[in-house]
Amino acid sequence: MSTDASHEVRPAADTAAGRAPRNDDAGQQPGHKGGLRRKGLSERNRPLWMLIPGGALMIIIIVVPLLLGIYMSALNLDQYTLRKWISSPFIGVENFVEAVTDSPLLHAVWLSVSYSLLAMVVTLPLGIAAAVATQNAFKGRALIRSVFLIPYVLPSFVVATVWRTMLQPGGIVDEALATVGIHVGLWLNGPQTFWTLVLVQIWASWPFIYLLALSGLQSVDHEVHEASALDGALWWNKLRYVIFPYLKGPLALAFLIGMLHHINNFTLPFVLFGVPAPADVEVLPILTYVTSFQSFRFGLSAAMAFISLVLIAIPLFVYLRAVKLDDAETPGAKK
Amino acid sequence: MSTTTATRHRAPTTDIPRPGSHRQHEVLRLLPNPLLIFVLLFLGAMVLIPLLYIFLASLNSDIGVANGEFWPSTVTFENYSKIWTSVGLATGLTNSVLVAGATAVVSAAMSVSTAFVLVRYTFRGRLTILRGLLALQSVPGTLMVLPVFVLFSSAATYLGIQVIGTQWGLFVTYLTFAMPFSTWVMVTYLRGLPKELEEAARIDGASNLGVLFRIILPLSWPGIVVSGIFAFLLGWNDVLFASVMTRPESQTAAVALQIFGASQEGGAIPYYGQMMAAALVCAAPVVILYLIFQRYLVGGLTAGGVK
Repeated sequence: MSTDASHEVRPAADTAAGRAPRNDDAGQQPGHKGGLRRKGLSERNRPLWMLIPGGALMIIIIVVPLLLGIYMSALNLDQYTLRKWISSPFIGVENFVEAVTDSPLLHAVWLSVSYSLLAMVVTLPLGIAAAVATQNAFKGRALIRSVFLIPYVLPSFVVATVWRTMLQPGGIVDEALATVGIHVGLWLNGPQTFWTLVLVQIWASWPFIYLLALSGLQSVDHEVHEASALDGALWWNKLRYVIFPYLKGPLALAFLIGMLHHINNFTLPFVLFGVPAPADVEVLPILTYVTSFQSFRFGLSAAMAFISLVLIAIPLFVYLRAVKLDDAETPGAKK
Repeated sequence: MSTTTATRHRAPTTDIPRPGSHRQHEVLRLLPNPLLIFVLLFLGAMVLIPLLYIFLASLNSDIGVANGEFWPSTVTFENYSKIWTSVGLATGLTNSVLVAGATAVVSAAMSVSTAFVLVRYTFRGRLTILRGLLALQSVPGTLMVLPVFVLFSSAATYLGIQVIGTQWGLFVTYLTFAMPFSTWVMVTYLRGLPKELEEAARIDGASNLGVLFRIILPLSWPGIVVSGIFAFLLGWNDVLFASVMTRPESQTAAVALQIFGASQEGGAIPYYGQMMAAALVCAAPVVILYLIFQRYLVGGLTAGGVK
């Protein structure tokens, strides 16, 4: 890209990185650094109306429902009062109290967090290994890269349908394991379902780590490879001390986004186990859904949704701090 | 560029291999051969065996799948002719293509113009919008589904606009949820475009719209395609909103398959063969799109890191 563009972008990027939320908006400093020529262009005659269609959609379909959801969490809302929800009884924080003290919510939070972490702990080494193995050129590498990404591009409902079939009692997985003398028992019912969910999530999401690790590896300069070849570094030491430091940024980003994906994943557990889900896979999205559309406790469900939003906000906040908003580079890949 | 200078400096003293030579690959190699082959075989098998299984099971009889056969004992293509009515894939796929396709087109068009403003102009609130685009990608669907449902049913009660149960409701919902990521993809793409052409066009007297249509659009079609594909996938893959907001005649393929799978519980042998055939048919467009546009899509995935 032209040096000109990066020059103009820099001042705004600096304010974003520096923790000064007041100077958030580039418009407040009429870029005396950025280039005089630009001022005339950007100050007058800006087609800001082009933001209106998207902005209107966001407000009507995301912001208004979000506020609506918060209001609903303070209502005693069930299938009888839903039709006239505006006039249904206001009960304050009772839904929140019930969600925390008298519902499987805390259990669901624990399940969601532990399942997301476990899946992440396994997908990280898988993705890194795959990236490291496909880093140097060999015949068929492009094909292997394409194949590796397929589980990630498959729709979740397809992945779940397929694994649901493979994991049926007496199905292909049981048969295959029986030939080596392993009998696991039920996959889709009972206490083992938690591990089933973790396994299928790993199968579906490790390519994402692979993708980001690969982009990290590609940022390693060729000279670094040459230098460590000259030093005669053993492959393990080279990986550990030379290559891995390059992966820290992309992998930290992958970790955050991956956690958000796992915690928000509704389709996989929903299609894999159906509703009502076994108690050991009643993760947050499933619990919120079931409370709404199976038990018809809409107010309670809205309270649960609000609590899960707070949970999501933690990794999200870290992610937003790490991302450079005004840079053409991969967000999160810190310079 | 930097490689060649480095080579020139060191060449007299050491025997650094030339770029592209066999030994050059050795320099890049990170794993010893046996380990490399093991990793590739392990991961390849992990991915390919289930994929092969879907295909084989879709040709198998239900009882064969239930007995855990990998290679079908009887091969039949019957499953592929049954799924159109039994699973309801004929209606499902039509609805999916309509809704996801419309989402893709409209979302791509809207995200180009939004991103154009965000990238090329400075104004108050710009960074807040950019940050909002990232944050909104992570808003969980389960949080939104109930309030959106209530909003739509209120629209029916108070304004007489019936959206629940129609494809319109799904379209508007998907469009909204696709916009943040599609716009983000376009923002990263437009930043990479050189500004000189635009500036030249402006000197020639082009208006804002003129620049957008004559300069930006022709240059950014790869980005537009990618942001459209991501919007398409969002609609194609969604089960949550579609399961709440559709009737049988407006069902998408995803919900049709999910309902078909769930309804097989507790009866005789489930229609496994048809389930696998339907799964394959639902996955095929996505995988084909991915293979065609792989190079661009991978860039988009790493840019925002959202499926």
